Amino acid sequence: MEEYAREPCPWRIVDDCGGAFTMGAIGGGIFQAVKGFRNSPAGINHRLKGSMTAIRTRAPQLGGSFAVWGGLFSMIDCGLVKVRGKEDPWNSITSGAMTGAILAARNGPVAMVGSAAMGGILLALIEGAGILLTRFASAQFPTGPQMEDPAPMPAPSFGDYRQYQ
Amino acid sequence: MPVAVGPYGQAQPSCFDRVKMGFMMGFAVGMAAGAMFGTFSCLRIGMRGRELMGGVGKTMMQSGGTFGTFMAIGMGIRC
Repeated sequence: MEEYAREPCPWRIVDDCGGAFTMGAIGGGIFQAVKGFRNSPAGINHRLKGSMTAIRTRAPQLGGSFAVWGGLFSMIDCGLVKVRGKEDPWNSITSGAMTGAILAARNGPVAMVGSAAMGGILLALIEGAGILLTRFASAQFPTGPQMEDPAPMPAPSFGDYRQYQ
Repeated sequence: MPVAVGPYGQAQPSCFDRVKMGFMMGFAVGMAAGAMFGTFSCLRIGMRGRELMGGVGKTMMQSGGTFGTFMAIGMGIRC
């Protein structure tokens, strides 16, 4: 998600905030549907009703906390882009750690450090996976200018596009 | 924009491909994160030996599934 075409900086905050809310609301809807279905008394009507109740109460909450995370994350990200003058994975990792720290600020310094470490590690994993994915997936899904390569290529030559560069 | 179906197949990955890719990526990230955090939390509650392996594996699968689902949704809402 990070390595693809992202919005330019001030609008990225809005984009990430809304995207995170949608993601949290839909994902929370799915998980809460299952949880409400399992925690209800027997009988299909009770179960469906319990599942609806769980979705209505919990999915917007989860979406909201996702949106807070995403909005704060990309605010710090944009600030770092402005301050450092470049965009690289370290921006995301730092802003993930700072987001974790800020959101845990009311629980004391120990919780802040733990939460910051968690955010930083998670964002580092996601960034690493994104970098690996773009490196490998560019062999399968070439996009953009390398499609304009006029050299006639044999049909079954997936994968080894590097020899033409 | 003239998009020819080139020798590589489709020019752009389809929506389902992106969702699948997102799920795989999220699953991998979630497995790695679950391995780390699961090891800590299982050690903290006093699991050792075979029990520890089982606990870490369970946490890894759980967080991999959760992350994969959310990542797939995140890919799905952007295409």
